[in-house]
Amino acid sequence: MFDVAIIGKGPAGISAAVNAFARNKSVVIFGGDSKKVLLSPSIPNYPGLPKISGKDLMERLNEHLKLTNATIINKTVIAVYAMGNYFSIQAENDFYEAKSVILATGVDFKKSIENEDTFLGNGVSYCATCDAPLYKGKVVAVVGYNHESVEEANFLAEVCQKVYFVPMFKGEFKFKENVEIIKDNPLKFDGSLKAEKLVLKNSLIEADGFFVLKDSLPLTSLVPGLEVDGPHVLVDKRMETNIKGLFAAGDITGKPYQVAKAIGEGQIAALNAAEYLDQKK
Amino acid sequence: MVIHVTDADFNEKVLNSDKAVLVDFWAEWCGPCRMIAPVVEEVAENLKDNLVVAKLNLDENPMTASLYGISSIPTLVLFKDGKPLGKIVGFRPAAQIKSAIKGALGL
Repeated sequence: MFDVAIIGKGPAGISAAVNAFARNKSVVIFGGDSKKVLLSPSIPNYPGLPKISGKDLMERLNEHLKLTNATIINKTVIAVYAMGNYFSIQAENDFYEAKSVILATGVDFKKSIENEDTFLGNGVSYCATCDAPLYKGKVVAVVGYNHESVEEANFLAEVCQKVYFVPMFKGEFKFKENVEIIKDNPLKFDGSLKAEKLVLKNSLIEADGFFVLKDSLPLTSLVPGLEVDGPHVLVDKRMETNIKGLFAAGDITGKPYQVAKAIGEGQIAALNAAEYLDQKK
Repeated sequence: MVIHVTDADFNEKVLNSDKAVLVDFWAEWCGPCRMIAPVVEEVAENLKDNLVVAKLNLDENPMTASLYGISSIPTLVLFKDGKPLGKIVGFRPAAQIKSAIKGALGL
């Protein structure tokens, strides 16, 4: 069992890891490098590093992270469950336990597809590794928001009879023969008891199952019971959410979406998580 | 009480049961299913006067799973008098499962 689990490896998450480590806590951190930081050509307002590029900053943050004891797990977190005295974190098909959690996943303005939440678990899945074997020999569709979703679609193609892939980003795709690319705009899922169709702007996909693969999941399915305000998590001055022992930091808590704020909040969240752990003893 | 059921005896053990039955659809390869197993056992023990928990291996018993439209696991389906009353998809802590069952059965 880890002392602190951090979801998200951007500036807020890494700042939280550095500070939790300084307070002698064991740390696990989930996720890949922040794409938002990596894609920033320059960050002009982070004090002390006036001309640093996003890529350089991410590199420096990772170097700093390596100086800590943090276990780094490059998997998508599907859900965080409050178990009472601890938290259970599902990262793809594996579970991890921690006494406290800091959410630092960033903010996601991508709108969900209509009925995505209604059919979640009923024909719509966020995790290919978890549910692929259920669709052996069947037809599935993947709505892919990131490069990892291409690998996942190929993995599904090994198991399934046919895979439709709807790319939500630009790129060159290399797929197995039974994958068909549909370049269209998904509008909504449709079906009676479970999702049976994906309605797109100019076409329609009928399939046995649908996978929506993105970097971060809608907050309400990520943490059941979490109080949110639109794309943001509600926190108090200590960066604690409505769930005891669960903190949040960075863009996820609201504007301004800036590196300096994320780093500051990561520190506040980590120090208060440490205090929470010390009081629990 | 936790029992194991199959496509062959699902009618007899679940649909014709006097008590309510919580069916746990699971498979070997499913990580969250391993996590929920002890939780479901705890629920079974806690509600033993009113509830039987039945585990159904989805790979070995595809017919029942397909009949009830199971498309993600673990899925828990609560049956009473031969009818599904409700379902929970994905891992949940014991307290949440218990309160959902109590609500559905009016306990």
